[in-house]
Amino acid sequence: MNMVFNLILATEAVTTTEESGGIDLLLPAPEELIAGILAFSIIFGVAWKYALPTLTATLQSRQDAVTSKLESAEKTKEEAATLLSDYRSQVAGAKEEAAQIIADAREAGEAVKADIVARANVEAEAIKERSREEVAAERERVAGDLRRQVADLSIEVAEKVVSVSIDAGSQRELIDRYIDELGGVR
Amino acid sequence: MENATSQSSRVEGYASALLDISTAEGEAVADEIYRAALALDGNAELINTLSDVRIPGERKQGIVDDLLGSRASKVTVAAINFVVASGQARSLGDIARRLAEMAAEAEGDIIAEVRAPLALDADQLDRLQAALAKATGRRVQVKVVVDPSVIGGLVAKVGDTVLDGSVEGRFTELREQWG
Repeated sequence: MNMVFNLILATEAVTTTEESGGIDLLLPAPEELIAGILAFSIIFGVAWKYALPTLTATLQSRQDAVTSKLESAEKTKEEAATLLSDYRSQVAGAKEEAAQIIADAREAGEAVKADIVARANVEAEAIKERSREEVAAERERVAGDLRRQVADLSIEVAEKVVSVSIDAGSQRELIDRYIDELGGVR
Repeated sequence: MENATSQSSRVEGYASALLDISTAEGEAVADEIYRAALALDGNAELINTLSDVRIPGERKQGIVDDLLGSRASKVTVAAINFVVASGQARSLGDIARRLAEMAAEAEGDIIAEVRAPLALDADQLDRLQAALAKATGRRVQVKVVVDPSVIGGLVAKVGDTVLDGSVEGRFTELREQWG
């Protein structure tokens, strides 16, 4: 305990010694301090008066430029967004239009196909009808030819039979009959 | 056309000349010339012979005399010889027909040339004449020409109208109907 007390005393003694010599070392002389303060004030005033506005203007200018660029960028971004929206809208419209065109084309194609099929059916029916008529006409012609040939042959045979078998009495009778017919009819 | 007109004029001229002769000689001559001419005209080979320019006229006259001499009057034979000698043998039938027409027209009648396979008797002629008069509305002189090629019935020609009452005509009608 004594020892500690002695140490504290020793320390306090040292501290007291150091305080009287240290502060003096650190603190300037008053006149020097006043000159320093005065010089600092002058420099500060000049700086405040001339440098600060320029600096402020420069900073403001840079801030304005940055702000302007930011606004421009924002505007550009908005325009880009608008363009993108328009583009997407156009693409959507184009797709819709393309789909409509395809649908219309398909519909038109179906209509043309139906028309062609209908016409082909009509033409085929007409061809069939013509064929039927031609066959019927040909059949009628052949039948007519056959009838004529049979008739000619029959008449020829009848003529020969009559010319051979007819005698004077028959001739006279036929003449009488025709004269009666002529007198009666006319 | 000109040839046809010329031929028609020629036929008209000869018929007119023969009509003058027959009028002078008597009514029956025109009928006799008509019958004789048509009898000759019905034989194509004979007409070819009578038309042949290489055969002398005397020979042709001899043929006509041989054929008609004993069957017709001298006037008739002379008239036909006149036509043949004039080179109109091919027109003999037409001239005879025109002669008969002219003779009939002179009396206000028309001619009906009737071709039959055999001669008609008086009753048939009367009935035929009456029937044709009824049909035409005019008096008709019937001139019958015996034509063996006509089979059954008869064929009457009045002007341009032909009334075919032959069996062959009936067969022709049948052919047309069936054709």
